[in-house]
Amino acid sequence: MTRLARRERGDPPVLQQDQTEERLRPLMLRSLEGDSGAHRQLLGTLGRYLRGYFARRIGTTAAEVEDLVQETLLAVHLKRDTYDRSLPFTPWAYALARYKLIDHFRRRNRSAQVPLEDAGALFAADDPEEGALRTDLDRLLQRLPDRQRSLIEDVKLQGLSVEEAARKRGVTAVSARVMLHRSLKWLNQAFRDENG
Amino acid sequence: MRTADLIELLAHDVRATPPGAVGRKLAAALAAGGLVTFAIVALWLRCQPLLSAGQQPWFWTKVVYTALLTVVGAVGVRRLSVPGARLGAAPVAAALVILAMLGLAAVEIFSTAPAARLPLWLGHSWRICSPLILLLAVPIYAFLVAALRRLAPTRPALAGAAAGFAAGALAATLYSLHCPEQAAAFVVTWYTLGIAAATGLGAITGNRLLRW
Repeated sequence: MTRLARRERGDPPVLQQDQTEERLRPLMLRSLEGDSGAHRQLLGTLGRYLRGYFARRIGTTAAEVEDLVQETLLAVHLKRDTYDRSLPFTPWAYALARYKLIDHFRRRNRSAQVPLEDAGALFAADDPEEGALRTDLDRLLQRLPDRQRSLIEDVKLQGLSVEEAARKRGVTAVSARVMLHRSLKWLNQAFRDENG
Repeated sequence: MRTADLIELLAHDVRATPPGAVGRKLAAALAAGGLVTFAIVALWLRCQPLLSAGQQPWFWTKVVYTALLTVVGAVGVRRLSVPGARLGAAPVAAALVILAMLGLAAVEIFSTAPAARLPLWLGHSWRICSPLILLLAVPIYAFLVAALRRLAPTRPALAGAAAGFAAGALAATLYSLHCPEQAAAFVVTWYTLGIAAATGLGAITGNRLLRW
């Protein structure tokens, strides 16, 4: 009963939350097994919920929200091995999103209360409409070494696979994969350092 | 970059992830840090009791006390290293271990002649015991912080405190290989103080170091 009592107005009914869990957890499990389709679908869905959650909490420009969505998706991607497969997925995702939100306020020296709710707060409403970009990510990309940046642009803009991009640049597929992964880790770090 | 483009990019960086990565990273950090601290104890301080006192109960009391605290600390660090996990009963477990040792120390103190109580409590090395444990905790803490930065602690100060506690307790276990003190009252005071100092230092530095 206390669990029910703590729920705020506007939170989704429990049933809907369970459905979110049932939809997202299998995607996460497949993503951890290396299924890139499931990974894409998971991040896409999560991104829409993150946008809705951050917009409700920040209440400022769409650009700020979108940057935070991107930073959080990058963190979900890089930290996904901290998800324990025997536990529900939505509390993990919520705790990670809440941490990113708190960190966002801290870096801007804004004191804001981020209430500790249950995971339903993140999955209350989704927002498929991407906000305008202030392009933190683009600015950070400019600071990557040329080789790494051009690899990312080949994969992102031209839609090449990592193997094709590697062939084009005359490196092995393995080293291109390593380079991509390192670039993503660097970006994740740079997000924090730049604003911290 | 649009968010959809970012997701596309991330989907190109997917590889199968073996389960249990968190525990392995933290265990490796404890082992590596423990090895460095053990080397310092063995080469610089020398392991006196291990040679002569390995069969004495007071030696094992110290080892068991600090080893139990190490286990509790490690469990705490493990829990706080990932989003959404709760600390659970780890602080209660730590308190119970310390209380048990306090009980042992009380029995010892009361069965000692009043005049001998203060020397028993202070031993020969009370001045250096806590600072040495704090110093020996540093390498272990450094390895734990490096591991935690690659994980995802969502409560940085608390995770830092847990890492400091675990590092302090393991450092104390290794220090007990050198330390010739025998009294439970000595151990529960000066050892615990060293671990507490490491915990505090972990909370303060963790709040800054464990951001990701």
